[in-house]
Amino acid sequence: MTVQYSELIQPERVHGSLYTDQDIFAEELQRIWYRTWVCVGHVSEVARPGDYVRKKVASQDVIMTRSKDGEVSLLLNRCAHRGNLVCEDQRGNSSTFRCPYHGWTYRNTGEMLGYPYNQGYGGKGKLSLGLGRVPRVDTYQGFVFASFAADGPSLKEHLGAAAGELDRLARLSPEGEIELTAGWLQHRAKANWKLLVENETDGYHPQFVHGSVFSVTGSHIGTLYSDKSTAVTRDLGGGHSENDLRPEFRKMEPMNWFGTSEARVPDYVAKMRALHGEQAEEILIEGAPHVMVFPNLFVAEISVFMINPVAVDETVQNVTAVQLKGAPEMNRRLLSQCIGSVGPAGMLLADDSEMYERNQRGVTARVPEWLDIRRGAHRERVDENGFRIGAANDETGMRGFWSHYRSLMEGEAQ
Amino acid sequence: MNQWIIASEFAEVAVSLDLDANGPRLRLEDLRSGHVRHLDALELESIAWAPDERLRELIDPSAGRWSDRADDADGA
Ligand code: FES
Ligand SMILES: [Fe+2]
Repeated sequence: MTVQYSELIQPERVHGSLYTDQDIFAEELQRIWYRTWVCVGHVSEVARPGDYVRKKVASQDVIMTRSKDGEVSLLLNRCAHRGNLVCEDQRGNSSTFRCPYHGWTYRNTGEMLGYPYNQGYGGKGKLSLGLGRVPRVDTYQGFVFASFAADGPSLKEHLGAAAGELDRLARLSPEGEIELTAGWLQHRAKANWKLLVENETDGYHPQFVHGSVFSVTGSHIGTLYSDKSTAVTRDLGGGHSENDLRPEFRKMEPMNWFGTSEARVPDYVAKMRALHGEQAEEILIEGAPHVMVFPNLFVAEISVFMINPVAVDETVQNVTAVQLKGAPEMNRRLLSQCIGSVGPAGMLLADDSEMYERNQRGVTARVPEWLDIRRGAHRERVDENGFRIGAANDETGMRGFWSHYRSLMEGEAQ
Repeated sequence: MNQWIIASEFAEVAVSLDLDANGPRLRLEDLRSGHVRHLDALELESIAWAPDERLRELIDPSAGRWSDRADDADGA
């Protein structure tokens, strides 16, 4: 049976089966996860030659390595002999990998180095079987992306306008670079991956779901998404979307985007002013982006999320704190804020996770069949750069996500 | 950093445990030139097991540092 995506995905509603159907999930793996550009990590996680970390692209077990000459590779964690897992540890340092089953050994670029008792193969160097490599690897602002399709749009084409949001994150560092070195937390949610993605730029829920957190902490985040907010939700194209909070931040003092003031991070502010002159004001006022990069990289100002589907109703959300190279004063605060909001006992992600899982259980009910995504459709407009925008709490981002999703699921298979 | 110096009249090398990377490495520093090399566990195991003749090959002055080929200079 072929699924008619144009029937399931309509401009103002999407069908519940998109979150529960095994066949649709299997097709998503082929048409999205093993085809388009998926974010797997950041170059700072393998800072030194020989460093490696294990990553996932859907069910694919991938090793990210840095070779002696500095090149970052994405290798598949599968021995070329009989398919055993080559690496077991989540991270380590080794210039070579030796499979534990029969000892076949590879360089960390994937090339075969040797095998035991070589007479069985007619001698040394007779086999040139290497580890599998992800066909296309590219980086942007240090984020490492993988595409399992040999051809297709370049990473730059894929990112489109979302690239500018990653630039906006990087420019907050006095050295123009972010680092993801604080370690990752893995949050497992019994929910379809799209529920997470849609939630990331849903400005409608914060006041509701996170209301208790905001009231306890006196946070101003809630008002950024209220009906009076001048912030906008923007469909950046390509399935990417953002909550652009800058219109609100511009009414505030520098560093208020971070819930702090200049006085509390004096070294950082001084460094940025010395570096950027007048332009520093804009950077310190506008702060970090809140952007969902299709299909799995979410930057929530101070935290970075990488979403990985496990099953139709199970997703792992990997979370870490943004660290700004050359800004130790900021990094301590970024880490503690990140832990407070999305850490093991963090308040924001706990709320959201509860909603993802309830949502997954809810959508299995047979009627009313549809999920509504029409909020704000009537007041959507086009901004000066040609992007569709809605109010801070409109579902403009979701509509953008679904139209791109539909084009991938319906288009020619690769 | 805990370091040991292994020295003879011919060479002086500082040996220490480096924990800056994603896993531990042995750091070797040739104190006469400042040249540094790191060795990971699998490399060390391989050295421990290398036949003497392979080690002798490494010590041959023309094998690395004084090789005629400039690109061999880091001994890689
Ligand atoms: S499966 Fe890896 S060496 Fe045999
Ligand atoms: Fe056995």
